Amino acid sequence: MSDEVILRVDGLVKRYGDITAVRGVTFAVQAQEIFGILGPNGAGKTTTLECIETLRTVDEGTVLVAGIDVRRSPQQVKRVIGVQLQSSSFFDKLTLAELLALFGELYGRRVDPLALLDEVELRDRAKAQVAHLSGGQKQRFSIAAALVNDPKVIFLDEPTTGLDPQARRHLWGVIKRIRAEGKTIVITTHYMDEAEELCDRVAIMDTGKIIALAPPHELIQTLVDGGFRREKAERLASLEDVFLALTGHTLRDE
Amino acid sequence: MRVIWKLTVASFKMFFRQREAILWTLLFPLLVVILFGFVRFSGVGSIALGIVNDAGPAGAGLIARIRTVRTFDVTEGTREAETAELAKGERDLVLVIPAGYTAAAADSLTALGDVEAKPQSTQLGSLVLQRVLDEGVFAGAPGLHRTLLATVPFKTRNLNYIDFLLPGVIAMSIMQAGIFGVAFGFVSLKKRGILRRLWVTPIGPSDFVSAQVAMRLVVLVMQMTIMIGVGLLFLHLHFIGSIALLYFIGVLGAIAFLGFGFALAGISRSEDQVAPLANIITLPMLALSGVFFSRTNLPGFVRAITSIFPLTYLADGLRSVAIDGATFGAVLPQLLGLTVWAVLACAVAFRLFRWE
Repeated sequence: MSDEVILRVDGLVKRYGDITAVRGVTFAVQAQEIFGILGPNGAGKTTTLECIETLRTVDEGTVLVAGIDVRRSPQQVKRVIGVQLQSSSFFDKLTLAELLALFGELYGRRVDPLALLDEVELRDRAKAQVAHLSGGQKQRFSIAAALVNDPKVIFLDEPTTGLDPQARRHLWGVIKRIRAEGKTIVITTHYMDEAEELCDRVAIMDTGKIIALAPPHELIQTLVDGGFRREKAERLASLEDVFLALTGHTLRDE
Repeated sequence: MRVIWKLTVASFKMFFRQREAILWTLLFPLLVVILFGFVRFSGVGSIALGIVNDAGPAGAGLIARIRTVRTFDVTEGTREAETAELAKGERDLVLVIPAGYTAAAADSLTALGDVEAKPQSTQLGSLVLQRVLDEGVFAGAPGLHRTLLATVPFKTRNLNYIDFLLPGVIAMSIMQAGIFGVAFGFVSLKKRGILRRLWVTPIGPSDFVSAQVAMRLVVLVMQMTIMIGVGLLFLHLHFIGSIALLYFIGVLGAIAFLGFGFALAGISRSEDQVAPLANIITLPMLALSGVFFSRTNLPGFVRAITSIFPLTYLADGLRSVAIDGATFGAVLPQLLGLTVWAVLACAVAFRLFRWE
């Protein structure tokens, strides 16, 4: 992580008619950080991301991605970000390699599809179509597609929702590796263990506002310092540990 | 430009990797032509009789009696007009009542017909006409003598139903590809978030739509070529027009109907919403725009309304060029009509375009 701020959101407000989905959200993401946005359904996580990603217009506030103002130059912002959308798909009838080559062209780039597929460990599926991929493979492919323009910031909206524990852990590996290659990642998730494992800092959102923003261990420490104790004593293993011990860490979707 | 080209190539690949698409766009129209082509509607119905009356009031009595015969579908006209219709195949038989004819004194009358091309309707028509003449003799005063009908062979272009049908089916396929192909395909891309994913890349709607239109137009040209080719090779199509003009009209019609398709896709969120709208637009045109049957027998006001349907302009334009050899000037009304529809449809489509 460096001190350079790559994404700055200041007083972001987004309304849908009478409903204010995002009410004055402010945060800054540093280069090569994995930044988590957590919160219950309807907290405004996805709307916040969509405003940054140029998919929705910003009603108030400023959003700067790599110094570019989203409201003034959305087209320039599109060029420096990589996006994995929640519940979006890709064209049928094209192979993964063809899709990546096509998406590269949308940015005016000639990409090496196999190198990108290597990045997410899908080289052997280069000639498959998206419809024939497993859930985990689809998400990994989505990430590969988000990398075609060598973006500065990558947005992942609930990338592990619906995946089995093995696929989830595998995807964590992919995300960490991409960060190690110098990318900045903004991720939303419902899994707290995932946020704790991956994120350098997390913002917790509720009803359109950020109610806490710090590294996960600091948030935990603050809670404990306030006198919080779990009702049940900490066990040495969780059910997920049991599951993984029984079924192994090997991916099942290949 | 390179982006549009790459998107076009990609949509082309996607189109041809869908087996059902090939079936519906290339084989289905052909099947319609072949099936309808084998059904001989002309064999059973009425006989189209043209009458050229150069005798004035003297011929009126005979014409009135002929008109009572249900077998005939009678049209009166000048010699030039009726023989032209006969040549086109719009008449089965043309009866000529010469100047100076009187029922009392005529020894013979002539009827023109293409005995080779339409043996049944010419012969049947001649027989019935002779019978009408003979009944006049028996009903009339004694002393009238029999007027004999002489059938004079007339070489026509021997146009078949297939010549009428094939341009109509091409027009129909253009409409279906535009409205159903685009609207359903596009709504599905929208619903599944595929367009949203494209929206976060730097391309604009015009890049994507241009590529779609380019792909559809190439498919259309292939489709027209296959249908005309099969028509000429296997179905004795009598094609005499300018092939370039035919494709020009086809492309113009396709742009109009693609506009319809994109407009429908713009206002619909799911395939369930597209289907009824698409049917409301296409079914009246399929029935009334002269794709399968000539619009001449429609009631006047229906004919007036249907004459401005885009499918009517398209079918009439294609047909005039294909079988009448119409020139650019001759199909100008159709070209203008299609242009107006194309501009309207595209303007609406442009306003209604949504990525999601």
